[in-house]
Amino acid sequence: MPILSVRDLRVRYSSSGPEILKGISFDVEEDDFFAIIGPSGAGKSTLIRCINRLVTPTDGEIILYGTDVLSLNARHLRRLRRDIGMIFQEFNLVNRMSVMDNVLSGRLGYMGNFAGLFRLFSKKDISRALSVLDRVGLSDHVDKRADELSGGQRQRVGIARALMQDPKLLLLDEPTSSLDPKISREVMALIMEIAAEYGVPVLCNIHDVQLAMEFCNKIIGLQDGIKMFDGPTTKMNKKKLDEIYAMEVL
Amino acid sequence: MAVADATIRNVDRIIAARAKTRTIRALIYMVVLLLVVWSVKTTIVDDTDWERMGSVGNVLHGVVQFLGIDWGLVPNLWQPAVETIMVATLGTLLGVMMCVPAIWFGALNITPYPPITYPIARLMMTLSRSIHEIVWALFFVAAVGLGALAGVLAIAVRSIGFIAKMTAEAIEDLDPKPVEAIRAVGGSDFQVFVYAILPQILPVMIGVIIFEWEINIRRSSVLGLVGAGGLGLVFFRQLNTFNHPGVTTVILAILVLILFGEVVSYYVRKAII
Repeated sequence: MPILSVRDLRVRYSSSGPEILKGISFDVEEDDFFAIIGPSGAGKSTLIRCINRLVTPTDGEIILYGTDVLSLNARHLRRLRRDIGMIFQEFNLVNRMSVMDNVLSGRLGYMGNFAGLFRLFSKKDISRALSVLDRVGLSDHVDKRADELSGGQRQRVGIARALMQDPKLLLLDEPTSSLDPKISREVMALIMEIAAEYGVPVLCNIHDVQLAMEFCNKIIGLQDGIKMFDGPTTKMNKKKLDEIYAMEVL
Repeated sequence: MAVADATIRNVDRIIAARAKTRTIRALIYMVVLLLVVWSVKTTIVDDTDWERMGSVGNVLHGVVQFLGIDWGLVPNLWQPAVETIMVATLGTLLGVMMCVPAIWFGALNITPYPPITYPIARLMMTLSRSIHEIVWALFFVAAVGLGALAGVLAIAVRSIGFIAKMTAEAIEDLDPKPVEAIRAVGGSDFQVFVYAILPQILPVMIGVIIFEWEINIRRSSVLGLVGAGGLGLVFFRQLNTFNHPGVTTVILAILVLILFGEVVSYYVRKAII
């Protein structure tokens, strides 16, 4: 029984614009580390943003843990989003806030507006934030402002924020594209360890095929909004990769 | 020969074009000159009471009587001066509170329903700025009676336009990435505002508010002219009792007050931003 199943997903940003996703279907299982690869403009980011509805699809079906994602009202959508951790290409931290506050903001989905306004995080949240920061190796940087950190450290804050949500699914949007190759590998390894520890499935956009092959157990290949490949990493080979990236070569 | 003909034609064309430009320019000068003459005629020549102005000596006498300082008045200026600053400060604070809907509706990227809410915000901003503070004060004196409260309300309403416009523009320019992140953790619109938008616009907003406060000291020091409290009221009284050195004293007091506002504003802005 897949925990996430996507059926015939279609997205158009405007009624006259081009179709970005042209009927994508796939399933994510409980302990998957699932990669979405493909050239720039293939629709990877759009696809991943449909899962937590940062982008609203024009057509199709998304079932996550038995919930029909596309039929949720605003209140239930917030509840769904707090169960999905997201890690972004450019970290998406609030630069002017401290590392601690950035991590704590992962709990906002569990809080009312009043408590959120005055940053009334519970003692439990704060001790949890400390242990999460310790887990990602940032216990020395708790009180720093987010913009004082290096790229790799900022992405660790991003990971910590996602973990604060107690997520049932992790969405990764090009988590390594702003990092150098060595740090990229470290960050991917950290995410993989943590996903295994917390028992969270991962859906990851990544254009670095090398990293995808190394860390992920399943891959779908997108090209111009169409699924070109769907299967375990072991079945992926040079010829199929060339097919997926054919447009880029030209 | 063909080449020479072409050259001559070209020269003729250039000369004709230049003559045309000259004529147009001369016409524009004429129109401007006529406008100036007409304005001077209606506003100064027809509208001035030349009989009453009298000779050059009389004019000088009129100016000279303002020279000098009425030291006896100085102790009585403290209380209205403090009141002026209070009116400016309370007015600014109240203005900031009244700004919130204008800011929310007035930033295109967060306005709830652009075709309706955006024009409402723009109307609020324009109304606030296009009506002079004295006129706002007259309106509020009529509404709540003479005194500082009318001044506070006038200052507040007059402040909405500038603060809201600058802040709304800051919101339109902000980095959308933190907004996306807070939305993705399940934050409400309100939490998105507090966590992702406010930290980004706070420096701009504080700078604008302090600047507005400084301007409001200027504004509140004249509001007494229409009975809305502060130094302006003393000024008006001195003028009415023909105590000309007293008028000068009040003007100097206002100058000191404005300098004070500028100094405070400079240091606070430096400390915060």
